[in-house]
Amino acid sequence: MSVSQLVYALLFTLAMGFFAFSARRLVAFLRLGRPDPRLDDVGTRLRNLGLIGFAQTKILRERGAGISHALVFWGFLVVTVGTVEQMVQGFWPAFDLPHLLPSPLAFVFNLSQEIFSVGILVAVSWLIWRRTVATPKRLRGEGKGDPVHHGEAILILSIIATLMLSILVESSFELLTPGPDGGPREPLGQPIARWLSLFFVGSDPITVPTAHLVSRIGWWTHAVLVLVFLNLLPYSKHLHVLTSLINTFFSNTSGPGPVGAMKPMDLEAETDVYGASDVEHLSWKNLLDGYSCTECGRCTAACPANTTGKMLSPRKIVVNVRQRLLEKAPLLVPGADAARRGAAEQAAAGTVADAAAKVLGKKLLDDYITEEELWACTSCRACVYECPVSIDQLEVINELRRNLVLTESRFPEELMPAFEGLEQKGNPWSFAPADRGAWAEGMDIPTMAELQARGEKADVLFWVGCMGSFDERAKKITVAFARILKAADVRFAILGQEEACHGDPARRMGNEYLYQVLAKGAIEVLNGYEVKTIVTHCPHCFHQMGTEFPQFGGHYEVIHHSEYLERLLADGRVPLEQGGDKLVVAYHDSCYLGRYHEITEQPRAALKRALPVMTLVEPARTKSRGLCCGAGGGRMWMEEKDGKRINVERTEELLATGADTIAVACPFCMTMISDGVTAKSAATPVMDLSELVAARLREPTAAS
Amino acid sequence: MKIAVAIKRVPDMDTRFKIAPSGTAVDETGLKFDMSDFDGYAAEAALQINEKQGGGEITAISLGPDVVQETLRKALSMGLDKAVQLKADAVPFDGYAIAEALAAELKGGSYDLILFGRMAIDSSNQSVGPMVAELLGLPCISAVSQLDVSDGKTVKARRELEGAYEEVTCPLPAVVTIDEGVARPRYPSLKGIMAAKKKPLEVKPAQLGPVTATVAKMELPPERAAGRILGENADAVPELVRLLQTEAKVL
Ligand code: SF4
Ligand code: SF4
Repeated sequence: MSVSQLVYALLFTLAMGFFAFSARRLVAFLRLGRPDPRLDDVGTRLRNLGLIGFAQTKILRERGAGISHALVFWGFLVVTVGTVEQMVQGFWPAFDLPHLLPSPLAFVFNLSQEIFSVGILVAVSWLIWRRTVATPKRLRGEGKGDPVHHGEAILILSIIATLMLSILVESSFELLTPGPDGGPREPLGQPIARWLSLFFVGSDPITVPTAHLVSRIGWWTHAVLVLVFLNLLPYSKHLHVLTSLINTFFSNTSGPGPVGAMKPMDLEAETDVYGASDVEHLSWKNLLDGYSCTECGRCTAACPANTTGKMLSPRKIVVNVRQRLLEKAPLLVPGADAARRGAAEQAAAGTVADAAAKVLGKKLLDDYITEEELWACTSCRACVYECPVSIDQLEVINELRRNLVLTESRFPEELMPAFEGLEQKGNPWSFAPADRGAWAEGMDIPTMAELQARGEKADVLFWVGCMGSFDERAKKITVAFARILKAADVRFAILGQEEACHGDPARRMGNEYLYQVLAKGAIEVLNGYEVKTIVTHCPHCFHQMGTEFPQFGGHYEVIHHSEYLERLLADGRVPLEQGGDKLVVAYHDSCYLGRYHEITEQPRAALKRALPVMTLVEPARTKSRGLCCGAGGGRMWMEEKDGKRINVERTEELLATGADTIAVACPFCMTMISDGVTAKSAATPVMDLSELVAARLREPTAAS
Repeated sequence: MKIAVAIKRVPDMDTRFKIAPSGTAVDETGLKFDMSDFDGYAAEAALQINEKQGGGEITAISLGPDVVQETLRKALSMGLDKAVQLKADAVPFDGYAIAEALAAELKGGSYDLILFGRMAIDSSNQSVGPMVAELLGLPCISAVSQLDVSDGKTVKARRELEGAYEEVTCPLPAVVTIDEGVARPRYPSLKGIMAAKKKPLEVKPAQLGPVTATVAKMELPPERAAGRILGENADAVPELVRLLQTEAKVL
């Protein structure tokens, strides 16, 4: 065994040993989190890994940075083959992968190594320039508590650049030495190598020994730097290089399972802490999210709260989880952090205990993430949707909110009447439950109870929702939709007084207890009538009953009216007048349709069918990127004190399209956008989809 | 501080009531019940006193059939320490009968402070608190909107008057009835609700006093005539003025 082999073996063993130590430490920290089984539906997980992980679909949602990052990523995959080859060479110098391959493949391999090294080099240089010179807004921190680790990022990028350079130096100078069979190597690479040798060494031609020496220097630089890089990763923000693929595999944000459903809580469990106030109350997956965050800031750039000047930054939430975990976990996992313990033993015992007590005395909630940030979230899911490594920022926000409400009873005082109304009256505004069906008076719409008494059954239940039942503006949507259902001869019924809120607002506000009481109550009523199909014009009702009710034994086919209208129209079941006004319509996507359920085309298709001479215009942010109206996540009941109002920001965008009508498909959006239009002193009408369709109904309206 | 809070279970007042066939009570079918609002303020006031002073014990007391246990549990979930149900088939109208039963229970309890709501929001009698004070021979301050017992010996209470307020003091132990303004009752956390399930709730027979006053008849007010919309904007004003003069005769 040669000296170089010995040296390499020693370095390699040391590096791998330390890496194993680091990895075990990180895994041990994850185990502090609560269990959360993530091995169901491996097929879907592999699909996510393929699309979001390897094909980089989320990364590529943003052009410039997306393409360079994808290049670096794919380049890394290719170059890693070469790196493995090199590791084998460290132990067995004669190993030569291309030599084992059939010659066309060998050529492809050699070429791919060099092309991708150059590609990565170019991309990394651009990324360094972008960080240091251009610095887009999302790469700047939000100030206090929302740090962006620039120094680290640049160090890592520089190491990558050096790694690539060393590969190029090694392989090009190798070309100037005789091949294993004694003859010259690839004739194609030779001229390039000559040119490089001129550049690096300054003589052409150089002697074989010099070429060999330079090539070896390249080899060793790369070999050592790879090992250093590997051991730096676990301690840097580039930890995501190691964990993001794993994270994508274990993530549920693009399935498997119902997308956007909040986790059910076991309220009978013996515990002192409901929800999460610190890292160990989060699931191990939430903690892995912390490891995997690239700090790219795409989530924060898409966050309606952040971009209108609120304290909330979803990136900060995730980074805080990692920071807090790395601060607290070493004290909880025995022997996890030898370095820290070593330092600890040197210091005076008392101060160490003090320092530890101080760390343990802190919490993720309050010390890192404030109430104010948490209550600013509209649950719009933009952050989750944009994250290139499938992190679930929203789940952390929800768990912390649960803690505030369920454990500490700490929430904005405006929420109290909403909770009380939900509890006492079955609606968040404390309207009299007896008035729930009042909108239907004189419309000849049966209730489920009436049908049952007559021994009849409805094909669909029209779930009206609290807004649709009580809010003056939203009642018009309800009536419009009911008129369409009647005109289309749908056999439907309502629950009337038996309808009560399903609890979704309570759940989003963190009050899982109240939610479960309400949800179970609603499911009992629905199951009592053996309801199979539900149609509703509220996206929140649609999401809650279709996606989250199965958690408590409520299994129904729930259809949002945008989809239902589109089907009725496509089947020609809605009698419409000919012609119509030439409207220019801007459609505003509701988050709970567009991002939660990818229902973006159906409402547009329904509009086009019902208003054939209409022109559809799109606001700047639309469909899966649509900006929230500001009402979700219980924000409907809270005051918006900081920054610009989200609904005004959104309304400005909608008005900027020049549309003469704004279409919505959600009663909450209706309120927010209508308020926005008023705030802008505009006169553009805001109409629900069903109202636009109903306005064109050919029906004997005078008689009804 | 050892505090007792008397609590009544009342129907949600924001309902369209019906009279029961007896003609002397409301029809309770379909009604929702909760703690009387002022009793909630009293419970909150008690909690804040003990939180500020540390330690102490707060007992919730309610008289009535077993359904009042639900209301007592709610008080426990807010953070009160224990509960006593004085079991009776029904809550009599006569405040004196109730006051005797409560006084009998409270007498041996060596409470520093006994709190009531200013009145029950269903019967609006405002009588039980002062009567209990009388029966126990304790001073009583009613309709208090601010309360300070921080020295452990005296009550300093503030009462709202029409356009003014007064400060009233008396020595402890004492009976105080609480008006709104003291503090908003806290929202029970799930932690509180779970803890409440394990807190002691004692059931004792109510030693009701003699019932001398009873309800003879109960009637709903006549239906109000429907409102009229005269028009919108300024155009409607002349007609409105005319009707206010001729029909309503208020101008
Ligand atoms: S869900 Fe929406 S509002 Fe909440 S943090 Fe994410 S992007 Fe911001
Ligand atoms: S959470 Fe995702 S989107 Fe947000 S900064 Fe981290 S990696 Fe980027």
